Amino acid sequence: MLGLSVRAPRDIAASSSAPRVEFRELEQVWFQITGTLCNLACRHCFNSSGPHEPWLAGLDVETVRRHIREAETLGAREFYFTGGEPFLHPEILALLADALAVAPTTVLTNGTLIDDPTADRLTQLAAAALYSLEIRVSLDAPTAAENDAIRGRGSFAKALAAVRRLVARDLYPIVTATEIAAPPGSPSLYERLHAMLRAAGVARPRIKILPVLPTGRCESRGDGRRLTAGDLEGFDPARLQCTRTRVVAAGGVYACPILAGLPGARLAGEGLAAALGPTALAHPACSTCYETGIACGNS
Amino acid sequence: MRELLSARRVALLGGVYSNHLALEAALADARARGAEAIFCLGDLGGFGPHPDRVFPLLRDAGVTSVQGNYDLSVAQGAVDCACGYTDPRDTHFARLSYEYTVRNTSTENRRWLRALPPTLKVALGDTRLLLCHGSPRRINEFLWETTTPNGLLERFCRETESDLLCFTHTGIKWHRALPSGRHALNVGALGRPENDGAPRVWYTLLTADHELSVEFVPVSYDHETLAREMTREGLPDEFVETIRSGWWTCCLESMPVKERSRGRY
Ligand SMILES: [Fe+2]
Repeated sequence: MLGLSVRAPRDIAASSSAPRVEFRELEQVWFQITGTLCNLACRHCFNSSGPHEPWLAGLDVETVRRHIREAETLGAREFYFTGGEPFLHPEILALLADALAVAPTTVLTNGTLIDDPTADRLTQLAAAALYSLEIRVSLDAPTAAENDAIRGRGSFAKALAAVRRLVARDLYPIVTATEIAAPPGSPSLYERLHAMLRAAGVARPRIKILPVLPTGRCESRGDGRRLTAGDLEGFDPARLQCTRTRVVAAGGVYACPILAGLPGARLAGEGLAAALGPTALAHPACSTCYETGIACGNS
Repeated sequence: MRELLSARRVALLGGVYSNHLALEAALADARARGAEAIFCLGDLGGFGPHPDRVFPLLRDAGVTSVQGNYDLSVAQGAVDCACGYTDPRDTHFARLSYEYTVRNTSTENRRWLRALPPTLKVALGDTRLLLCHGSPRRINEFLWETTTPNGLLERFCRETESDLLCFTHTGIKWHRALPSGRHALNVGALGRPENDGAPRVWYTLLTADHELSVEFVPVSYDHETLAREMTREGLPDEFVETIRSGWWTCCLESMPVKERSRGRY
């Protein structure tokens, strides 16, 4: 994957004209657990993650634990672990256990590192918890050729193997895809993924489709449009995840999973309570959220 | 201020989903068990046949209802049931049943649905109850057993000054004592079996003695007749199969992994 940028995505413009939305209440707390360190370097990665020189550092165990405790007192509903690739974090299993002791927890992974022993550990974690452990495995197309052109050679086979390992243990992962590789005019990506998973022996496929975001390695796909105050007239801000989501990443607490780590999206240096103020919709990716109603969470 | 119920025992009914036969059976059962007041936590229509048949049963039995997301959508003539499905198959079935329900709910009953309150606060003995459909903050929030953390439930109790939160909307019952001694209760659904392979449905009895007790009561009813009515009305075979088999066949998208792994589909 030489030649792919690992630079930080374009930051939020310090523009006074950007509309702001009030925060409503804390529902989702995300952890950018490995920063942008990933064993893959997908061509459409919205935060330009990769194996070399990540622009965003990961989180240490104590920072995560502190925010888990704070999230509990604030009455948050659920936790998400993302990166980068979360299973590159040396303490990921212990941290998932800590999170699951407090609230339902989802981990977003490319699946390539989930071997049998890891799947067994996840099974134990899930069985011991009152709350659900959701595992989201990323795939971007129903064939190795299409998928690997985006996500790298061999990534399809490894991710599908992980899905089957998890299904065999009743962990029923959610396959998460973007429409980056979907040929126009073909049957829907959802239908194709569903058929592929059924054919691969996945009895009850769970699928989530996300839009491609015009940031990171896909910055050039956007039109660079930024929202204005007029866009929010008659618009229900509750549709925007930054009204109920916060992300803990290196350097502090940020407005949403898409902009985590960007200095312009940072709301506080430490602690969720300090980061529950309004957010500025100042990034081109904000217009994608506005138009698609994208929810990075499970529902 | 809460209304203090004079009752010692009350019945709580979850989503009815036009299952007039289960409703009739549950109302008779609750009376036989000494329930002095009956509450329904909303979603009267959807899924089942002949939506207008549940209204006279509720009114004749003096049931007090809160508004569900389905009731709100039907009352407003909204474009969908606000269940929030994105899976194309779920969306398809949800639309079929929603359009059928809107088409077959009278203007008078829609007006009645519109007037239902979103929440009710009552007291049963020393226990302060909050009755709502999804959650105290959102009519269509799913409070599943395995995705609803104690920290959130404690916050809901504090914010609504309640000792027992009662809700439905997911269709599967559960009850949990919280670390503070307060309680959360999903009363399940009356209109649909709960994905455990048995066609019977459930309601909940609360009894205020020295302490408040929570009892889930199974209701067997003539589900075969309901299934035949659904087929005659042209409702999806997938829904009819659920009534007969007790397994959910669709609209599983919002179900968390633990609940999902206990079902068949
Ligand atoms: Fe509902």
